[in-house]
Amino acid sequence: MRPNRLFTLFLPLALLMVSCTNNTKSDTSNAESTPLAEVKVVQYEALQAAYSKQDNVLYVVNFWATWCAPCVKELPDFMAVNDTFKKKENYHMILVSLDDVNNLETGVKPMIKDLNLAVEHYLLDDVTRMNTWIPAIHPSWQGTIPATLFIRNGKALHFEGGPLNKTALTGLIQSFLQ
Amino acid sequence: MNARIKLLALLVALATSSALMAQGYAVGDAATDFSLKNVDGKKVSLADYKQAKGFIVVFTCNHCPYAVAYEDRIIALDKKYKPLGYPVIAINPNDPAAQPKDSYEAMQARAKEKAFTFPYLFDDGQTIYPQYGAEKTPHVFVLKKTGNKQVVKYIGAIDNNYRNATEATEHYVADAVDALLAGKEPVVSKTVAIGCSIKVK
Repeated sequence: MRPNRLFTLFLPLALLMVSCTNNTKSDTSNAESTPLAEVKVVQYEALQAAYSKQDNVLYVVNFWATWCAPCVKELPDFMAVNDTFKKKENYHMILVSLDDVNNLETGVKPMIKDLNLAVEHYLLDDVTRMNTWIPAIHPSWQGTIPATLFIRNGKALHFEGGPLNKTALTGLIQSFLQ
Repeated sequence: MNARIKLLALLVALATSSALMAQGYAVGDAATDFSLKNVDGKKVSLADYKQAKGFIVVFTCNHCPYAVAYEDRIIALDKKYKPLGYPVIAINPNDPAAQPKDSYEAMQARAKEKAFTFPYLFDDGQTIYPQYGAEKTPHVFVLKKTGNKQVVKYIGAIDNNYRNATEATEHYVADAVDALLAGKEPVVSKTVAIGCSIKVK
């Protein structure tokens, strides 16, 4: 009798746990199957190579994180501006998440999906070398995010160490594409 | 032509922003004292610490995940270096109107919860952090008492691994204070790390 009772007591709990686990898993696999949520986990050198190609393309590289409220706030504007320019062959937008890599599946990918961030994604997983790559990305960067680098043929054209609104971002891109 | 004018405007804007950034202290500058309210309701100034050889001033806050990740390490720094003459003074530079989690009441709660061994001051009106040139949380300024001045000896991060204290291989603040205690200048006097921007309404 006793084991049965225990079983009856724990069965709903066990089922609940199983169903929770299932939910999480299916969410994750959905996120993975969406091209939107492809995120390349890289160290600084690979990221630098990605935006420093000698291809006459203006790379707009935005550094963000899911925990950074002003970053998340400006992303819809970035997407709207990207929609205006994305067909141009000499323009490309990259988002670089500075989240903890352990937060990739549970935080970064779901947010990319939720906010429909349809650009190329990287996660810079290089926490012990911040003092190397922050000044390498731009000498004026103090380490705050959001931050946005405008770079072409490996040459930085502008670095914005703070938020950008739609008008300012559009103006900057236009001035560099002219 | 239009593009040139735009670029010129941009360069002026750039120059202005870098001029703004140039405000705040460089290593070697004398830092200002202050009188800011602690979580216990009392005002705290650097001048209150007659016996101190210097200070580990940490701009930090409640809400930022980086600041939270470093809380235990800030307590450890205070426990180690206060008896040696370098106490930690923590200052929350954020405007609670912009980030309610950094209100004075929330600071009191967090200080109690974590049993902070150091003062946790509120930069009410945000007058102190711009003078120091703090850009983010956490952002550390190590000061050394020199005559009646507080000379900035180190500006930057606590160590090189916010995620895992035991895996940090560079302990910037501890190394800087150890050097000062040994009568030397810190080998590394400035570092940068990712942090949360200071919240302004």
